[in-house]
Amino acid sequence: MIELTINGNSVHAEEGETLLKCALRHGIEIPHLCNHPSLPPYGACRICMVEVEGMRGFPTSCTTPAASGMVVRTDTPALQELRRNILGLMMLEHPSACLLCGRRDLCDEFRPQAEKVGRTTGCHTCNNKEVCEVRSLSEELGFSELPVPPLYHHRPIERSDPFIDRDLNLCILCGRCVRVCKHQHGTSIIEFVGRSSISRIGEAFGRTLLEADCRFCGSCVDVCPTGSLADRYAKWFGKAESTAETTCLFCDEGCALSLGIQQGKVVHAQAVDPDKPLCVLGRFAVAPFMNGFDRLSVPQLRVEDSLREVSWDEALAGAGEKLLPWKGETFALVFDSALPLEDKFYLKAFTEQVMQSPHALEAVPDSKGKAKVVLPHGVKAVLSLGSFIDPAEAEGLELLILQDVYPGALIEKASVVFPAAMFTEVAGTTVDASGTARPLFAATVPPGKARSDRQIVMDLAGAMHETVLSDLEEKLAASLKATGDPVLQCIRKTVPPAAADPSLRRDWFRGRYLPGLIGGLRSLEDGSSFEEKPAPLPSDNRDPAAPPQLFQIIRKREVAPNNHEIVFYAPSVAKKAQAGQFVIVMADEKSERVPYTLCDWDAEAGTITLVVQEKGRSSRKLALMQAGECAAHIVGPLGTPLDIQNFGTVALLGGCYGIGAHIANAKALKEAGNEVLIIMEARSHYLHYYLEELAAVADELIVTTIDGSNGIKGHAIDALLRRMQSGARIDRAITVGCPFMMMVASKETKETGLPMFAALNPIMLDGTGMCGACRVTVQGETKFACVDGPFFDAHQIDWDELKDRRNAYTDAELNSLLTTEPVAHAHHAHSGGCGCGRS
Amino acid sequence: MSTATKDLSYIEELVAQYPEHKGGTLTIMQKIQEREGCLSPEALDELARCSGVSVNELYGVATFYSFYKFSPPGKHTIQVCLGTACHVRGGAKILAELERLLGIKVGEVTADGKFGLVRIACLGCCALEPVIAIDGKFYPRVSVRQLPSILAAYQDQ
Repeated sequence: MIELTINGNSVHAEEGETLLKCALRHGIEIPHLCNHPSLPPYGACRICMVEVEGMRGFPTSCTTPAASGMVVRTDTPALQELRRNILGLMMLEHPSACLLCGRRDLCDEFRPQAEKVGRTTGCHTCNNKEVCEVRSLSEELGFSELPVPPLYHHRPIERSDPFIDRDLNLCILCGRCVRVCKHQHGTSIIEFVGRSSISRIGEAFGRTLLEADCRFCGSCVDVCPTGSLADRYAKWFGKAESTAETTCLFCDEGCALSLGIQQGKVVHAQAVDPDKPLCVLGRFAVAPFMNGFDRLSVPQLRVEDSLREVSWDEALAGAGEKLLPWKGETFALVFDSALPLEDKFYLKAFTEQVMQSPHALEAVPDSKGKAKVVLPHGVKAVLSLGSFIDPAEAEGLELLILQDVYPGALIEKASVVFPAAMFTEVAGTTVDASGTARPLFAATVPPGKARSDRQIVMDLAGAMHETVLSDLEEKLAASLKATGDPVLQCIRKTVPPAAADPSLRRDWFRGRYLPGLIGGLRSLEDGSSFEEKPAPLPSDNRDPAAPPQLFQIIRKREVAPNNHEIVFYAPSVAKKAQAGQFVIVMADEKSERVPYTLCDWDAEAGTITLVVQEKGRSSRKLALMQAGECAAHIVGPLGTPLDIQNFGTVALLGGCYGIGAHIANAKALKEAGNEVLIIMEARSHYLHYYLEELAAVADELIVTTIDGSNGIKGHAIDALLRRMQSGARIDRAITVGCPFMMMVASKETKETGLPMFAALNPIMLDGTGMCGACRVTVQGETKFACVDGPFFDAHQIDWDELKDRRNAYTDAELNSLLTTEPVAHAHHAHSGGCGCGRS
Repeated sequence: MSTATKDLSYIEELVAQYPEHKGGTLTIMQKIQEREGCLSPEALDELARCSGVSVNELYGVATFYSFYKFSPPGKHTIQVCLGTACHVRGGAKILAELERLLGIKVGEVTADGKFGLVRIACLGCCALEPVIAIDGKFYPRVSVRQLPSILAAYQDQ
């Protein structure tokens, strides 16, 4: 027994235990970062340094074995200072402004969920926010300022591999991902590439993960302490509300899964075993498969030629009636082996005792999971639990009842369709390839009215007035006894075969071809990586002297990460535009109608300039378009122009996508004789844009950054208040930016009596005051932002309502994004200034 | 220098000479570069196959050292010294002018494969500042004006 002292407490360590492990086991928290339960000790980040009497310097507790008589201190002022400095250096290459923000708590309250965005440039748009280790560490260590301005690498967000998004601008090079790959697979799909400040995580010769033979086990994503590696599907759901463990049913390896659950739905599945990875199906296919958009959720009954959604009672009664004439050998029930033993028991009992048929047919899957059944001669009525029979064979049947999870080819022939619960929705027992019983837990809620397979046949028996199934519990218990007590396989002896070699993974589940349902698997299936074809410019074939096409993109550049300046040819808009107005743009025929403020226009050239922030599906489409391409439609100018009079001194506050809007506003106000002061804010220096353009149209330009890396430290409103406190006269203020920025500006000027107007940006549809989608409440009255606005008295706006209305379509938005498939970068315009690093 | 369908069987022989694969790969990569002028994807893939070390790991190690190159070098390599002494005597201007004359950036090779341009921290002859070296031949106290004629001497070689 090793006895030592940590922070004055006498503790016992086990043989070979490190100081960190020993301390954590005794509830003594030592901040650490590169250390992870899935990984052997490494000692790279040096956050976990401690003082040990008699030892020189500051040894890392994660690599120092505990020894008898050691006197260890873990939390001295010197250590705190050192740790803070180390973290500060790491934060120079991580978007850290939100960690330093004075309004951090207010922001967390106003926008508790991560927002959708292209590249992450701050915590509030980061999908990892709720589980971020860097964030919690910075709180723990009292990180409050950056020693020098941070470095943003402008690396392209990598979305061309299935399932995994990589934003290396967030990477702090802790090396966990590289180490877990080596530790779990004994090879390196990812490595540190290059050195010094250009060092990054990557594959040889800039290959994609697919080309580098990645197995897509997702372990790198699971150990990443930041948001740089993300599960493309799960990332939108933030921290899971709860977790539950169950056994994977995709094959018979019986791996234990840890499920993240949000509102009854599984949002991700991770390995329970810290040292062995899952295969791509277990890691990445569970959530999209369980939550598929077209899961069967309501019973259906064929009335004449079409299937109608009906109640369970109707469906069961209908099915029971249809089944009655087929009692005996002409009936068969078809299922495959990927079902809980309990379900199989009742399916057999139903077949044999209710339908009095010997044909309870269990299809045995081949190595790919595909299971087919050849019906015995004379079978005319079938209850099938999936697509296990040939559609041609189904044609010859007199009656087909489906009890399934997704619609398939057989549904055309089915008389009744029962929606079934499956996998993570059903409790029970399964047996793995080694013959060991594994437990299944009902961890998630089935979609709609779906019921478990055993429940459905029991209900069906009830509808047929049969009671034989109701007292079989003892028999079931006896039959389960033979398999032994089920135990979760929390520790595996070997890497699951499909995790070591993805070609061994199954493709079928319940007669369903998985790549057909899950886009990411389709990309794996192709074997080849997502191909980036530089699309030929539509303008290539055109006569350069010819006039531009309507709504054609004349110029496009990424002025700051995620913010794209796009110059469209829209002559009638340019002719009529006035400061403060906006247009509604449709990227293509199927994209949303999104309002964008007119930043500038040239009536002579017939062009308008917009700043588009990549945020959701439709703005991503615009962001990926390039010069020469045409938008489907632009309507405008819309909205009431900004009230232009000679007010005296007008302060224009801009942030984020709102910065550009002030070019037109400043021009018009200045022309009317005003003194124009522009104050623009950004989280950090690299997010500023249009500095010269704004300086050219304003009498004075003040720049603020949240992290203090450029100009005044703080928000735009801080600079304005400071100016007012110094006695300067401001007659009017206009604020354009995100709702949070505008809300803060309005709340903090309410007492000053300064008239302030904010440009509101709710969800809009028609933009002409018909649909009412953009309604906002101002001074207790309902207003339409599209025709009454966009400018309203900022002090009278109901900001909470605005925020809620903007989030109304979050779920639909997520469903519309490609959540497992690679995203085409083919259209990204690199033409200078986009900063994406690609050529 | 084309890397297409090159005979890479010598790599297997090299690997056999260094049974301690992990440590040996540095030397082997050096030998590959000596022979081919650079580490091509084909060569590193072959080395990975023979040595059992992942190609990503080999690439990670190789990119750590500035010595290893991943695209063929120019026929003539121009080294421009930007050490302290050369820097204060206008080394950066020499480099900028060479970039302009050759139409490439430092670290690149001209389209015809004739010249490669690299910067170097010190050539060890600080008294001759500013200095450039082409294929090991030193040009002391160079001026921007001399550069065209220096380059011309290599144009036909």
